[in-house]
Amino acid sequence: MKFILIVICFVTLTLTTISFANADIRAPKPTPATQGKIVLHTGLEIVPDTKSYEARLQISQSQLQELRAALDGIDHNRTFATSISRSSPRTIISGVLLFLSISFAGVWLARSARRSIPPSRFKKAIVIGLMFVATLGVATIVTRGNAGPPGYYRWRSLPKSLSEGKSTVGGLDVEIVPDEQGRNMRLIIPLRKEGGTGEE
Amino acid sequence: MQRVGDVALFHRTSLSASNRSGVHAFLGILIVWIVLSASLSVWMPLQFSIVTVFVFAGPHNWFELRYFLTRLPVRFGKSRPFFLMAFVGLGVLTLLYVSLPLLYRYQTWSEEEFATVIAIWNSLLLVWIGYLIRLRSKQRRKDWTWTIPVLLALSAFNWIQPDGFSLGLVYLHPLVALWFLDQQLRRTRPTFVKFYRGSLIALPLVLGVMILQTAGAESLNDSNGLFWRITQHSGAQLLPQISSHLLVSTHVFLEMLHYGVWILALPLLTSPGRNAIGAGMTRYSKNWKIGVASHPRGFPRLIFAVLFMATIFVVALWVGFAYDYATARDLYFTIAIAHVLAEAPFLLRVL
Repeated sequence: MKFILIVICFVTLTLTTISFANADIRAPKPTPATQGKIVLHTGLEIVPDTKSYEARLQISQSQLQELRAALDGIDHNRTFATSISRSSPRTIISGVLLFLSISFAGVWLARSARRSIPPSRFKKAIVIGLMFVATLGVATIVTRGNAGPPGYYRWRSLPKSLSEGKSTVGGLDVEIVPDEQGRNMRLIIPLRKEGGTGEE
Repeated sequence: MQRVGDVALFHRTSLSASNRSGVHAFLGILIVWIVLSASLSVWMPLQFSIVTVFVFAGPHNWFELRYFLTRLPVRFGKSRPFFLMAFVGLGVLTLLYVSLPLLYRYQTWSEEEFATVIAIWNSLLLVWIGYLIRLRSKQRRKDWTWTIPVLLALSAFNWIQPDGFSLGLVYLHPLVALWFLDQQLRRTRPTFVKFYRGSLIALPLVLGVMILQTAGAESLNDSNGLFWRITQHSGAQLLPQISSHLLVSTHVFLEMLHYGVWILALPLLTSPGRNAIGAGMTRYSKNWKIGVASHPRGFPRLIFAVLFMATIFVVALWVGFAYDYATARDLYFTIAIAHVLAEAPFLLRVL
């Protein structure tokens, strides 16, 4: 009984922790009020098509739902990473508590091995599961902050691919901008000069 | 001798047969309850949520209070520090929780500051539970130090996501009722335990099917103020990437399990007290026996006054729901934190 309940609790806790791991999210920057607001990070594939007469933007049903959900929460929801970056005291307290938790768990496990009556496998499983979830949670946060190569890396071959009629896939931030910046939808592709440092 | 042996064999056989039929009836009701709750939760989550809260919210609190009273000793004795801590914590935490919405309304706190306030309340809750665990482990001479890292990890998660932690309470609290039922069965119906635990495997399976059914569903229409409240309570604002249909369905399903345990399973499966066995008494009338009231040194008037007040509260809640469902629901879920908190010390008592 306890085992089933604990498993359900761990699964819930793990899912809650990793549900934020979209990965490759750039560090949030303080943006002036006049600039746009990034509401969603997703992927974009640019496909040259010699047979089409009009450019088309195809969005899958699930992505549309994600976008709607993100737009619904545009005023009152912040991403997990943003909430951390805006609340350093809470992050510090949380980090200290997590450190204490893992330390206590480690000491408890080490001491329990020396006892005449060792703890049950059930208790050990809980503590090890806890350490696993905690490590996964921390790794997820780190991953989210700094995952993989920068976004422009995947777009570097776009001009060549376009000229060859090949498709290119890369990351995309959906940004909502104020009305005065233009009525058309605008797609901004990060391109760097060949051999550059990436900072230009 | 042969006749005595035959009689004993006859009794054993008849007992096991009655046990078997009891187990079958129990499992049948449990499975029907789970499947029916899951189906209705997925089919019409908002409507089902409204109806279930209207019908069961008040009565289940009444039954929970009655159950806790049956678990209360006549004299605290060596358990005095435990009960003192339990009641003081229960009172203080409930008062603080109830005052939070008022403070939010009248203070000029930012969203961030309010999140910190919620994190502090959640931390106080964990400290309280931790202290109760310490007291109980000393009493039972058991080593429960492994709970310290667990509580610290929960606290760490709380400070990162105070709202997430509170939402976790909303979803995990109904499962605690299953733990109470397990402990009750161990005491009163040991033969049921194996089957009960086995049947709980159905729970993750049903939840999995529900998630598959509703994950891709469109979010519920929450333009109505009441529907908005229900989706918010299920975490739609906190988890916008998840369909609110899934969230509300899951929450209502878990609540139905909770109500089923407190209103049906526990009262029906609680065995009669030793002094209460009378020839003409039905199972229900025997269950009315509450040790702290029926004991010669007990407090019958106080206990029945408490139960009478609770009955008035249930009726008042029904009237409130009928008059202004949305406001009554808000008020109920604020005050209901008391029964969530009360489950912690009483669960520790039965472990």
